[in-house]
Amino acid sequence: MIESSYVLGVIAAMGTVTFVLRALPFVASRWLHQHPIVSSLGQFLPLAIMTLLLFHSAVGKATEDPEGPWPELLAVALVALLQWRSKNALLSILVGTGVYVLLRNFNALGTGLLAA
Amino acid sequence: MGYIPLGTVFGFLFVQAGASWWLAVLASIFVFAGAAQYMMIPMIAAGMSVGTIALATLIVNLRHVFYGLSLFNKLPQGRLLRWYLVFGLTDETYSVVTTMPEESSHNQMLLVTFLNQTWWVLGSAIGAVIGAQAQVTLVGLDFALVALFCVLTVEQWRSRKSARPLWVALAAYPVAYLITAKHALLVAIALSVATAVVLQGRANGVAQEKTGD
Repeated sequence: MIESSYVLGVIAAMGTVTFVLRALPFVASRWLHQHPIVSSLGQFLPLAIMTLLLFHSAVGKATEDPEGPWPELLAVALVALLQWRSKNALLSILVGTGVYVLLRNFNALGTGLLAA
Repeated sequence: MGYIPLGTVFGFLFVQAGASWWLAVLASIFVFAGAAQYMMIPMIAAGMSVGTIALATLIVNLRHVFYGLSLFNKLPQGRLLRWYLVFGLTDETYSVVTTMPEESSHNQMLLVTFLNQTWWVLGSAIGAVIGAQAQVTLVGLDFALVALFCVLTVEQWRSRKSARPLWVALAAYPVAYLITAKHALLVAIALSVATAVVLQGRANGVAQEKTGD
């Protein structure tokens, strides 16, 4: 069981950081609008950071997976294709995660049977 | 309504990681950021420090700064209403609000934000209660976070003005990984920001040369 007081602290910190980020443009708008670099970063960073988060989290999963990186690559490609075609986040996430769980557990099962 | 099942998955994974069900609901009320909340699950399970988790939240949610910039004039002036809308400026709310017609009333924006959050909180509660009933030991369930990042990447790609950020990120990550595998994400983001600044500087230089002729 995870200590509730610790989680409360995490929630408070995350809530504060998230709110400050969302509020920043409304508090410091004049300053932010004066700098052309801000708007060019605004076009650049969201896609760059999201790509990095995807890469980083997928690499993280692949390194803890003895069969990696193939199940991760396959599942990520599947999610990307589904999302591109359907624009339905729930469908993409559920199918992608479902397929990944199957790949991981059935691979383990297969190796177990081979070993036996 | 689309937020209910995504919230359910969050609540379920949160409780499966070993935290109390009501904390999942609290997180959805006060943090209200899908990707960051999915991200916090393995981090609290590993008992990481509050500072580390706050820094990770900063990275994951940095894009919200730019959402606000483009909505500055669209949001109502009334204090309470404005701050609630700012608080609720998630990816989902942003994409709905930016596609709403110009003459949409502020009450409609409020309704969109409030409903989004209601479904998200309700979904989290449902998932958390289900998750508290039985422990499922399936390897790979936390792939949901990777999948969510993938969905957000695809959506950022769809609305892109240039493909450059993707290529820069793909080049920056292996370089950062070779420098420090442990802090690869932070270093790669720093490299991407630096590249963006240099590219912008060069674009400005070219523009100035042209006007100079």
